[in-house]
Amino acid sequence: MSIQTQTRVLTCIQCGKCTGSCPEAGRTPFNIRMVVRRKQFQHHIEESIPWYCTSCGACTIRCPRDVKPSEMIIDVRSVMVEEGDIPATIQKALENTFVHRNPWGRSRAKRGAWFEKLDFEVPHVSETVSKRLLFTCCIQAYDPRCMVIPANIAKMLNKGGLEFGVLGEEEACCGNEIRRIGESGLFEELQEENVAAFKEYGIKEIITLSPHCMNTLKKEYGDLGINVSHYTEVLANMIKEGRLAPKTSYSKKVIYHDPCFLGKQNNIFDEPRDILKSIEGLELLEFSRARETSLCCEGGGGRMFYEAETAYQRNSEIRVLEAVEKGAEIMATSCPFCVMTLEDPATEKGLAVKDISEILMEVL
Amino acid sequence: MSYTLVVAEVRRGVFEERNLDSIGIAALMQKSIVLLMPDGAYEMNGNLVDTIIRTTVQEEVFLNPLNFITILEKTMNSRGQPDLIVFTHSSSGTELASYTAGHFNMPLITDVSGFDKEKNVFYKSYYSDKIFGEFRQTGSGPCIVTVRSGSFKEHIIEKGPAQTTALEDIALAEGRTFIEYVEEETGAIDITKAEFLLSVGRGIGNKDEIADYQELAGLLKATLSGSRPVIDKMWLPKAQQVGTSGKTVKPKVYLAMGISGAFQHIAGMKDSDCIIAVNKDPEAPIFQYAHYGVIGDANKLRDKLKDIAKG
Amino acid sequence: MNLLVFTKRVPATQEEELRIVDEGRGVDLSKVPFKVNDWDNYAIEEAVRIVEKTGGTVTAISIGNAESDEVLRRAIAMGAKDGFLIETDQVLHDPGARASLILNFLKKEGITYDAIFTGVQSEDDQFASLGGILAARLGIPYASMVIAIDAFETDHVTARRELEGGLQERIKVMLPCVLSIQSGINEPRYVSIMGIRKASKVERKIFKGNDYEDNVIPGIEVVKWVYPDKKGGATMLDGELDGICKGLLGILKEKGVYQ
Repeated sequence: MSIQTQTRVLTCIQCGKCTGSCPEAGRTPFNIRMVVRRKQFQHHIEESIPWYCTSCGACTIRCPRDVKPSEMIIDVRSVMVEEGDIPATIQKALENTFVHRNPWGRSRAKRGAWFEKLDFEVPHVSETVSKRLLFTCCIQAYDPRCMVIPANIAKMLNKGGLEFGVLGEEEACCGNEIRRIGESGLFEELQEENVAAFKEYGIKEIITLSPHCMNTLKKEYGDLGINVSHYTEVLANMIKEGRLAPKTSYSKKVIYHDPCFLGKQNNIFDEPRDILKSIEGLELLEFSRARETSLCCEGGGGRMFYEAETAYQRNSEIRVLEAVEKGAEIMATSCPFCVMTLEDPATEKGLAVKDISEILMEVL
Repeated sequence: MSYTLVVAEVRRGVFEERNLDSIGIAALMQKSIVLLMPDGAYEMNGNLVDTIIRTTVQEEVFLNPLNFITILEKTMNSRGQPDLIVFTHSSSGTELASYTAGHFNMPLITDVSGFDKEKNVFYKSYYSDKIFGEFRQTGSGPCIVTVRSGSFKEHIIEKGPAQTTALEDIALAEGRTFIEYVEEETGAIDITKAEFLLSVGRGIGNKDEIADYQELAGLLKATLSGSRPVIDKMWLPKAQQVGTSGKTVKPKVYLAMGISGAFQHIAGMKDSDCIIAVNKDPEAPIFQYAHYGVIGDANKLRDKLKDIAKG
Repeated sequence: MNLLVFTKRVPATQEEELRIVDEGRGVDLSKVPFKVNDWDNYAIEEAVRIVEKTGGTVTAISIGNAESDEVLRRAIAMGAKDGFLIETDQVLHDPGARASLILNFLKKEGITYDAIFTGVQSEDDQFASLGGILAARLGIPYASMVIAIDAFETDHVTARRELEGGLQERIKVMLPCVLSIQSGINEPRYVSIMGIRKASKVERKIFKGNDYEDNVIPGIEVVKWVYPDKKGGATMLDGELDGICKGLLGILKEKGVYQ
């Protein structure tokens, strides 16, 4: 573990606020307070334990002593990564990222497939005046279900007259999950590659389509002098300025799920809600755990690529059950990881999961 | 007199069906076909070749590349060199072919799946089967090929009873010896090793349906696997999960029943040789990756398959 | 124990669309990412595990252009002691020609070994023959598709070969020998970027490929590259349930998984 982590860990007073906020606590063997305790004494941690963490950040946000337990987990993982002793599925995701610059192992040459199908030209960012970059998440670039998200947003920005460009196959994975898995060397490579592209094309502004990308580009890529925002901030603003105006009504009960990387970690709670509230007929419902206390969907922190040995009721199912109980017809969210994790249990219960951009697209 | 030599692939008393492809490509050469095999009671159609050479050694001795070169040497000493030596592209076939090629300094093209008589080229796949190369030998003399299963058997010709001769007195090599066969452990299921996976998803409905899928898997000699929701619900154990957080599989056949094709699942099986998808939803993403598709109720299809397989 | 392992840098073509260029004379790999040949990775891991138990060294050898150094660094990061690059820009498709090159190299450089490992096949050319040809030319025993090494003694190896249908055969092979290693024999350790950076500090020796070209004459050549017959989307089976099922069973039979 790094010196900083070891020092911080020693300041822990074992208050238990971290475990109290942890989405994995109680139902899985993962007890973050206990992991910190063991690390204080440099004791061994059972090898499956560090991989439960979803990087939601709740523990770090609520800790009264600046222990940063979620960062400590990354440190613990990085030791395992250097030893080469990591779950096979995580290994595959890392190796895919190394070769193809995305954890799914898809062809880099096809990273721009989503905009090739649009009925208008999407310019390379170097050809734009504003040097405003639309940065897609790997999931949105390759998953047929999620490809509609960047397509929709591109259409809406176009409609609202906001100029933007893309990097196409020069875009590499942002590395947010890679860093959280503990592969700092690979994260640095991705960062270097992306930053080189940003510098080469003189990029001034980046609109990210995933809160994960926004988080790492904004806070972990160093001071780039680039304004990084999430698309909900941009669209909410465009609606406020009248550049986009929802026209048709949408008489549905929509419950909004705050993604951890957008909400609690980056304090963007209102903009997604503003977008939904601007739609006539839409009844916005709230979860009992919303905003800062939103329940993590368990998609982040490498959990896409890791499955726990223990069987337990997933948070995504708990969320869906509450949505049904509250009478929601649609679960809205603004993160592709949340979309993917919520969709399976939701479809089973007859509930639709939609990204905010999908709902907005329907009413413009 | 030139001839085509076909080296039989045999295993535990069985004359493998793949040999028909070797005989098929030999038939295309339009020379006399000589079949080289160990002695033993093998069930086979002897009328497809002109001559059968029965080597008086045990099967495991024949299949040992160190002995095989001696057997081949003796064969060529008595008959002359063949134009073409054909092996099946299989575990033993390719092993024998490569050692033979090295020992006799003969050119070798493996996994041949086509032959153009006019151009005199063999087709060999490259780059994940995305490109084929038209290959031929640069010089003259015997050439060795291993042939891909299913590629040439339509060319076999019924010829009439073959002549049989014996090949004896083979001095055995000591550098490698056969000890025993080892059967697959029937303990823990390893879906990554299965040739045929029958995979179930949420679309099958509920846990009670699993038993019938187990039965179907048994009848079809498939291994059962599942997508993540099925494992989350504990309808199947974790070891049988296909997907980014489970196992990545590349079987010959992946029969997906009631699986929609979520991204994380596709990532775990998209490289399967043949993907057959059964789903009620015509828009299910899995159809974009499947080679064959059926739009329908997976459970109904399962029951019908069981009836036909049993009866 | 002195083990030589051949490792190859190959294009990762599984997801890519490949173009034939130059009127069939070439395939455009300029935009394709490269990586270590999967089977070779298993071979390196197996060799490293063996010397971790018995003592000795693993030497990784690669034939290829300068960028093949990448796979040598990776092998060193996994535990190989040395990496040798036989540098050549020429692509030798013929495994027989490659075996001759290796033969010349081993002789000329006086390389000794107890065993030589290769991967079962390369992801690019899929020949699956280098090991067998090399073994025969060296006059030593060979076994392909090794799925398990049960014992590695001073003068022999007890190993299992993968046959069809889940069957294996246990064999005894005297040393020195050549083994081609099958994927799944082990779980290769993860090699981190930092690990590869550390491995860069170990010197990789570079040899000039054309110093070993005596009698390296390709016995086969590619006349032309062509595309396979175009496959469209999924072939849908429809009609009566009975007919669909029979059609399905027919496909299973054709694929050889059902009798």
